[in-house]
Amino acid sequence: MKQLALALAAVFLVVAVLYWTGHFYPPGVHAKHGIVSVVLALLCLVWFRFQSAEGAR
Amino acid sequence: MSFAQAMLLAVLQGVSELFPISSLGHTVLVPALLRWDIDEGSESFLAFVVVLHFGTAVALIVFYRDTWLALGRSFARSIARGRFSDDPQERVAWLLVAGTIPVAILGVLLQSAVKALFASPIPVSLFLAANGALMLFGERLRRREHAVAGRPYRTLASLTPRDGALVGLAQSLALLPGISRSGSAIVAGLLRGLHHDDAARYSFLLATPVIFAAAVLEIPTLFAPDARAALLQSAGGCVVAGVTAYASVAFLTRWFRSNDLGPFAWYCLGAGILSFILFVTKVIA
Repeated sequence: MKQLALALAAVFLVVAVLYWTGHFYPPGVHAKHGIVSVVLALLCLVWFRFQSAEGAR
Repeated sequence: MSFAQAMLLAVLQGVSELFPISSLGHTVLVPALLRWDIDEGSESFLAFVVVLHFGTAVALIVFYRDTWLALGRSFARSIARGRFSDDPQERVAWLLVAGTIPVAILGVLLQSAVKALFASPIPVSLFLAANGALMLFGERLRRREHAVAGRPYRTLASLTPRDGALVGLAQSLALLPGISRSGSAIVAGLLRGLHHDDAARYSFLLATPVIFAAAVLEIPTLFAPDARAALLQSAGGCVVAGVTAYASVAFLTRWFRSNDLGPFAWYCLGAGILSFILFVTKVIA
């Protein structure tokens, strides 16, 4: 699950960059879509943090 | 748009954003009913709407400032610890996260398309009536569960993340102009077993980041050349919307301690049907 959380965070970050540079669907620069993607990436990192702490215990 | 019209719209926004009667619906219907000649697609009007939302969001943050501080502290502690605890504030903070995700995703993906399709008086009238019917339906189910079957109410902290996400999903119905954000979220909260005051509190807390983010993301419209001309109206509107929103949330938190959605539901049903008849029969063009 830790790997899945990290992979999803990376995917959402890439999607955010693609939205901001106008290379994702729908065509054109979508600042708000990018921001939501970053927020989702951050949530995935929080999920990763919870999984890591659980593993350490 | 005159200064008086701007201030009236600001009062309307401050009240209708938090009362379960749909602010977007009223922003479409009232100017049409009063036959105001306002270009709602102009840069200056869009900028004006942004500052009204900003004023409303600030009022909500100020009203719930102690709650937000406590929630923020519990949320940060939870992340630092890397696990959940039984702290009720922490549970509510995570419920807010769970409830905000669906509305953020659906809002960003669908808002423009839905608004373009339905933001005209006749569909808005129908959605406003549907909003009233939805609240009456929710109240009826709640009475059956609690008043008739005697099931006890749940506390906000006892909701699961799934419940929180469902309330957030219900809040997304407010993308349809005429459906109220707070109304749909309160009904969803009631159907998950909350009392009115907890359902309303969760609805207002859930609305705060959404309204605030929506306003902040539209800030660039304030710098459009056309928008700068209406700076005085925007500043006045922001203050008026903030003050009325603060008074509205103060009133509603008291109201929902011992009252229900009934009066708001009947108002929406009546206003929606009446507006629909006026627009369809072309009494108002």
